[in-house]
Amino acid sequence: MTLSPPAPAGFQTDAAEQWHRVHPVSPLVRGWVAVVGVMVLFGRNSFEDMLRSASSGRDYGQQGPPVWLILTVVAAAVVVFGVAFFLSWYFTRYQVTDDQVRINSGFLFRQQRQARIDRVQAIDVVQPLLARIFGLAELKFEVADAGRSAMKLSFLKMDEAKRLRAAILARASGLAVDPTLTGTVAEAPEREILALSPGRIVGATLLSGITVAALVLIIVLGCTVLWLRSWAALAGLIPMILGLAAAYWKSFSADFNFRIALSPDGVRLHYGLLETRAQTIPPGRVQAVGITTNPLWRLVGWYRVRVNVAGYGTDRRDRGGRTVLLPVGTAAEVLTVLGLVLPDPGVGKPGEIFSAGFAGSGDGSGFIHSPRRARLIDPFAWRRNAYRSTETALLCRRGVFFRSLEVVPHERTQSLSLFQGPLMRRLGLVDFELHSTAGPVTPVVHHMDVHEARRLFTEQSARAARARRIGRPDRWMSLTHPAYGGTAAGSNPVATSCPKNGTAQDTEVQHER
Amino acid sequence: MREPIDPPGLDFHRVSAKLIPLRFITLGIGALVVILIGSLPLVLRTLGSWQKFPGALAWALAIAALLAMGWRLALIPRQVRAIGYAERDDDLLIRRGLFFQRVMVVPYGRMQYVDVSVGPLERAFGLASVKMHTASASTNAALEGLPTDEAARLREQLSARGEAKLAGL
Repeated sequence: MTLSPPAPAGFQTDAAEQWHRVHPVSPLVRGWVAVVGVMVLFGRNSFEDMLRSASSGRDYGQQGPPVWLILTVVAAAVVVFGVAFFLSWYFTRYQVTDDQVRINSGFLFRQQRQARIDRVQAIDVVQPLLARIFGLAELKFEVADAGRSAMKLSFLKMDEAKRLRAAILARASGLAVDPTLTGTVAEAPEREILALSPGRIVGATLLSGITVAALVLIIVLGCTVLWLRSWAALAGLIPMILGLAAAYWKSFSADFNFRIALSPDGVRLHYGLLETRAQTIPPGRVQAVGITTNPLWRLVGWYRVRVNVAGYGTDRRDRGGRTVLLPVGTAAEVLTVLGLVLPDPGVGKPGEIFSAGFAGSGDGSGFIHSPRRARLIDPFAWRRNAYRSTETALLCRRGVFFRSLEVVPHERTQSLSLFQGPLMRRLGLVDFELHSTAGPVTPVVHHMDVHEARRLFTEQSARAARARRIGRPDRWMSLTHPAYGGTAAGSNPVATSCPKNGTAQDTEVQHER
Repeated sequence: MREPIDPPGLDFHRVSAKLIPLRFITLGIGALVVILIGSLPLVLRTLGSWQKFPGALAWALAIAALLAMGWRLALIPRQVRAIGYAERDDDLLIRRGLFFQRVMVVPYGRMQYVDVSVGPLERAFGLASVKMHTASASTNAALEGLPTDEAARLREQLSARGEAKLAGL
């Protein structure tokens, strides 16, 4: 085993017996919570004693443990943590070969993990606050196991992390590696597409469900005070107020400084106030896209875009933050972002059609909605429940207060099903469900007419089969699809319009094929 | 018996009729427990150890448990007959359900792996269950009550076709 110095330029893949170690400070960055915890545990007693004796002004040094004992404990703690950290560092090694990533870790319980590079679904570079101070970053990459486990390299120098990311992504995207260059990869340059201002994030946070909860809390507070005629009742609600404040803070700090950039190896998202994260979703890894809005956001025309990526899964930690492609955006921004993950909308005038999907109602733009009799079980949303298929994707629309549009590329369809309950059977209605990988987007078209749904079912399975056979060529680099409005390269992407001049002929009736 | 949501022009294979007695046994054990619990107040009241329990309610509980379980058991034959599957060129169709019906299509090219499982009771009846997994967690494509050799044939068929269709994500 040889430990090589970091490569000066580009990236060299490792030979079979060449291993690297993570940065020596990383156990401390990872384990500082444990250190602080132990310090609090041991320190509290003596600290309390000190306070007590200081406040009473007598009995100096009588009750607390002697100084030498405290020092011994501290020294022992330093030694124990030092040894543990050293062993943890010493036994954590990694290597990136031409087609595998291997990470060995653990001293007592050894773990050896390896992943095939071409199966990597997405890569995150995460910097918790302490790691930022040291200029370190954690590299986290996902394989397609619905988010159950990720391979982590914590922590590396920021440059090293970026180089590794570039190397892994270049191979994951199937980039032909020139054999004469022995696997050198230059880092892919980034092009910024969209940045959200802090004001937007504040606005989105203020108009979120947290505010609804806050309003409810204020009403409860008011009623309690009036009813009990005493301000003391407020004390009991302090934890709730703190909880709300924490929720606001979390929502704000997670999405702060959100930027979307495009690099040849994928869509890159940067965000975070204290802990920053750079997420890379390689081309063709997006399984489904969902655009949602809530009643408050609709007042200002804001939407949220989420994606299903096989490696992320549902990701219930971090409140699903990693599956968010755009935390809050206007309709124009949503279309820009859609252009990144669905480079080929497969239809002319996609701006108009996608807008009709996430904002519209009725049967405009070729959408087919529930029949009129569906209003008996779906009085508000029946004109919203609709689908439309393009050459490359199926659009499923639903919801009237909490509107959503789900887009699934045909070749990403996993399986389909039709569902009918007894009431729907009486009315001749059927739910059409499209199964995507685990994630926040669950495409479904509610309450379709039986014949319509059955035809959609048959046609969609044929379309999916055809799309699988053809397999889309990797068109990632030819991203600027003019049909979305060609905004991807613009320096002012916010001022996007959706021009009416589509490149392809718009297919008003989509079931001719 | 073609249901309105079944795609036209398809003949579904039905699962083995031996699934009916198998389900009677498995559900019957559960039903017995439910009925016993439901009639407990009535028994205790009749024996005189729980006099304060209202008589009408005790009877109602026992009868409700009996009726609900009887209904569940009575549905089994029709439910089993409603299970069907059809192999097409590119995908497998599965249908099930009587009141809550579902038709599902699983493309061979999307299958990640196929499970064949046999429990002790199933073995006694010579049956097996086949479950198909895609990358989606919501694909709940399971077939119960296939004869063992049919299950083996289906498994081989599915993996061969999955390979031919270059199964992927």
